Amino acid sequence: MDFSQFNSAEQAHMNKVIEKKQMQDFMRLYSSLVERCFQSCCNDFTSKSLKSTEETCVMNCTDKFLKHSERVGARFAEHNAETMGASGSQL
Amino acid sequence: MSFLGRGASSSNQGGMNTEKLEMAMTELDMVTDVFNRLVSVCHSKCINTRYAEPDLNKGESVCIDRCVAKFFEVNKKVGEKMQAMGANATAGGGSSFGSL
Repeated sequence: MDFSQFNSAEQAHMNKVIEKKQMQDFMRLYSSLVERCFQSCCNDFTSKSLKSTEETCVMNCTDKFLKHSERVGARFAEHNAETMGASGSQL
Repeated sequence: MSFLGRGASSSNQGGMNTEKLEMAMTELDMVTDVFNRLVSVCHSKCINTRYAEPDLNKGESVCIDRCVAKFFEVNKKVGEKMQAMGANATAGGGSSFGSL
């Protein structure tokens, strides 16, 4: 986002807010990944530990999710640039 | 977004224009919310849960691109619809909500 019209105190405040948000997002990403990958990879409870197939599934699941959100982010940014380019400020 | 693009800050110089900050924070929240919904909805629609490989395959990649584009289109359509509903409600004296 474009905060260039803010003064330095306001920019510092915004940076702090964004930093805090990023931390929260990271923790949320962590817990949602655990839930998502557990949900789709672990369906067999005949043993206590992860089987190797489950483990690769979990690894692929996390990798794939990050790549997925990266791609969505790229498309999202493109869309924002397109729609907001006209009105002067961009994401 | 466009409502941030007002003129330079003039009210209480040196301190912070809380109103403007509030707006920026609301906008930030809105944008992150849309993004998070986009990620989760397109993941559930496009990504095969077998997780045989760590990379996005061609079909999934194309699906994601289209999913994002479509989501925004739906977003716009619903927005327009609701705006029309709002206009109708104010024009019709508010009673038109019962006939929906």
